[in-house]
Amino acid sequence: MSAVDSPADVPPGSSPATGATASGAVASSAVASGAFPGGTVSPGTVRRRGWRSGRTGRARFFRSELRLVFGRRRNQAGMAALAAVPVIIAVALRVTDGPTEAGRDPGFFSAISGNGFFVALAALGAELGLFLPIAVAAIAGDSIAGEANSGTLRYLLTVPVGRTRLLAVKYAAIVVFVATVTLLVAAIGLLAGLALFGGGPVTLLSGVQVSLAEGLLRLLGVCAYLTVGLCALGAVGLFVSTLTEQPMGATIATTMLAVTSFVLDSIPQLDWLHPYLLTHHWQAFVELLRDPVAFDALRPGLLSAAGYAVVFLSAAWARFGGRDVTS
Amino acid sequence: MSVFQTRPALRWLVPTGAALAILGGGAAVGTFASAAEPNLPERSAAQLLVDLQTARLDGLSGTVIKRADLGLPSLPGIGGRGSAELTSLVSGTHTLRVWHAGPDKTRVALLGTLGETDVIRNGKDVWIWDSQANKAEHSTLDGQPTGRPGHLPTTPQEAAEQALAAVDPSTRVSVGRSASIAGRDAYELVLEPRDATSLVGQITIAIDAAEHVPLRFQVVPQGTSKPAFEVAFTQIDFERPDPAQFVFNPPPGTVVTEGARPDGKPMALPAEVERPTVVGKGWTSVLVAEVPQLAEVAKVAETDGAEAALLRSVLGGLPEVNGAWGTGRIVTGKLFTALLTDDGRVLVGAVTPERLYEVAQSTR
Repeated sequence: MSAVDSPADVPPGSSPATGATASGAVASSAVASGAFPGGTVSPGTVRRRGWRSGRTGRARFFRSELRLVFGRRRNQAGMAALAAVPVIIAVALRVTDGPTEAGRDPGFFSAISGNGFFVALAALGAELGLFLPIAVAAIAGDSIAGEANSGTLRYLLTVPVGRTRLLAVKYAAIVVFVATVTLLVAAIGLLAGLALFGGGPVTLLSGVQVSLAEGLLRLLGVCAYLTVGLCALGAVGLFVSTLTEQPMGATIATTMLAVTSFVLDSIPQLDWLHPYLLTHHWQAFVELLRDPVAFDALRPGLLSAAGYAVVFLSAAWARFGGRDVTS
Repeated sequence: MSVFQTRPALRWLVPTGAALAILGGGAAVGTFASAAEPNLPERSAAQLLVDLQTARLDGLSGTVIKRADLGLPSLPGIGGRGSAELTSLVSGTHTLRVWHAGPDKTRVALLGTLGETDVIRNGKDVWIWDSQANKAEHSTLDGQPTGRPGHLPTTPQEAAEQALAAVDPSTRVSVGRSASIAGRDAYELVLEPRDATSLVGQITIAIDAAEHVPLRFQVVPQGTSKPAFEVAFTQIDFERPDPAQFVFNPPPGTVVTEGARPDGKPMALPAEVERPTVVGKGWTSVLVAEVPQLAEVAKVAETDGAEAALLRSVLGGLPEVNGAWGTGRIVTGKLFTALLTDDGRVLVGAVTPERLYEVAQSTR
């Protein structure tokens, strides 16, 4: 399979082609960016004492991975789309002069006309339902399957980079990406909101006012909490990505898992299942906007995210470490 | 590690083990917590009743979970999880946060998914704050408690008080097994109606062994063991909360409405409806109200107006019943039965349908 779209000097794959089509995706990875000189292919064996083991090698691998994630046009376009949502929200509410009647709209939209700070929260709340999970699924789904699909995975492993370390670096890049997009949405929302509506003391859900500085601190807390939750989805995506050589398939499967979780979460008859759902605790970020903050209420979300991450990262390790890499 | 290299299939033991450990561990903690029966010195039901009434509560704060599964037909706009509206308390699961520092300083916050409704009492001032509508309602008390919709108990205390008011010769009172609630040891007081026509199987009140404060209140319908209504602390702290907790200043931009709430009548009844009468006493009392419009709707098949159409469509879905008392439609929940007769009467009670028919016959 890889012979279809690989340079001529690639040794033919040792396993039968599985019908993957050449995707024409940007040849990914460190090989293309020159971070890894070619090495001897020794398929099947994984050497743990890696090439240039130690901190420099690891840092370099990680850096090149970050360059890969943030340097790709499609990822940049995706981030631009995520950043556009808060701007659209702010402009739309500005143009329409905000809701005239204090209705029961979801989220923090009604508070925006009074304080631009809430654009960030409204945008995070709105994107949490689909956009952010899709972005995470796209990056996580692409992480292993994308390399396999473009025929670069075997080179990465021949370098030789231990498979466990490869997974660790891939996941670290996902975590950095998640934190970046969450902060990006919040920051753009904050800028757009403050520019169009002005700032001021923040009214919390409990009807208590705090200074803008404390509001920003709480917003940072919200971003951190959401990052943890989305990283659990990233772990699931990484696992799915090790199952296939089609990055698109992994992305769609991960997105569907997230959406299924949302759907199950909205069926009241399944309330016994809700605490176990991946997305169930995400909305708990609003706990940070009450006064006093009950950190107890955040614990289930953090524990559930940690549980998901442990199970799916170890599953990814089991799958990836045990499989034959043929592309 | 080398085993994993030679036998890659063994690697799957790690995620499987992790999943089992997490799920099993979580379940085990939950089971142990609920199955734990703390060893407490024996106390009679009467002593517990006295404990309840004499409990000196300096202050507390905590989180309360309220579950109501009354078997109501699901109606749009009522109940549901995550709603921060006070009327939604009728059904579904809700989380409340409570602060209490003496009888004139209380605050109850109903937590919604993206909002919050607070009822704050500080001295004579009562504030109701609705974060989603950005509205605040202020009223001044002259010794009267606030009217919450339907007077649904929001704290275990309130619930226990209402239940204790019903303790009379019609009730069997006993001590159940001790329990551990919100990490505290508690006695359990069990109230059972003696009358078999009551739909209530038993009411249990868990009382903190040290502070004598009710920690959990459950209503179990006749013939089941699963509570249909439950109010319980999931976390409690007996420190007196900070007085600042009870100060409410409406934030700028809030719509503030002033005025006392209509006394005693939480929801305004239409003027045409006569004051309802109560038939019977205690657990099996039945509320009888005359609603002439109901008869009209039943008679006139083609009444105009969206309201009548809606009413008809709702009524049409209810099972029809008839007997010596006439004909009508019946609503059965787990803890109550309501009978809407075609001659325009509404009978409601926590009793079996048979008892309602009896009352319908006798009040014709």
